[in-house]
Amino acid sequence: MRRLHNLKPGTKAIVLDIVGNSTLAKKLLGMGLTKGVELKVVRNAPLKDPMEIEVRGYSLSLRKAEAENVIVEVREK
Amino acid sequence: MIRVALAGNPNVGKSVIFNALTGMRQKIGNWPGVTVEKKEGVYKYRDVEFHVVDLPGIYGLTAHSIDEKIARDYILKGKPDVVVDIVDASNIERNLYLTMQLMEMEANIVIALNKMDLAEQKGYKIDVRKLSKELGIPVIPTIAVKGVGIEELKNAILQASKVKREPYVRYSDGIERYIELVKSKIIENSILPNYPPKFVAIKLLEFDDEIMREAGIDGEVVEKWISSVS
Repeated sequence: MRRLHNLKPGTKAIVLDIVGNSTLAKKLLGMGLTKGVELKVVRNAPLKDPMEIEVRGYSLSLRKAEAENVIVEVREK
Repeated sequence: MIRVALAGNPNVGKSVIFNALTGMRQKIGNWPGVTVEKKEGVYKYRDVEFHVVDLPGIYGLTAHSIDEKIARDYILKGKPDVVVDIVDASNIERNLYLTMQLMEMEANIVIALNKMDLAEQKGYKIDVRKLSKELGIPVIPTIAVKGVGIEELKNAILQASKVKREPYVRYSDGIERYIELVKSKIIENSILPNYPPKFVAIKLLEFDDEIMREAGIDGEVVEKWISSVS
């Protein structure tokens, strides 16, 4: 179990849970980061803020403070 | 006059469809009190006049951003006759999230399934008839930049304006039980009677700040209601 902001570009992972305040959680769920969905880290900006991921066939940029709240399980590197 | 609202995610070709529908007959202003652009236009189709409002591009209707709040308020309070939901066929899964939320609001929806050419290039094969049947909503494939499907869309909007269809999202039995319970409380206490009760029930179960504030109900009340189930 890891947090999304710690993953390196190219890593694929499955979303296990969204933690943190409910406003942010709802926003992330609304962007398609639901439990069980697969995502891939595409690239990181300097200091990993923001980071770009691919989920449900589209690209999504997340702030580090947002990505920290996504609990994932790494599938492949 | 039939009132039509255009809704859709950012970058789905909403403006192109707005222009294709209304042509030159447009008015650009602001939404009251905020510096968000409001585009309105009119067109005539088979001797019927249509007034079109272009809602801000949004990913959802949670009312967390000003754009989402404008769109949500317009659909709930302005009650347009028809809501055209513009869905990017090349990014369909992401886009259908907004569709589900519009369905929850019991809007009278017509889907313009746009960018069909891009979807095809991506190798997607979309069964439009099945999609329409599953959702219970008319789905019109379009390639707006080439003007493909605009006549069909105008016709679908006209047809939809004649029959008020209320789409229905069915959740799993467990969730539906909670929705039913909260819905009965809402009706019993005539909470937000101008909104669809099932929509209010879902939003209260989500502890949606905006709806809780409008209803004058806090999370504890909802918790108490739902504690009697199970």
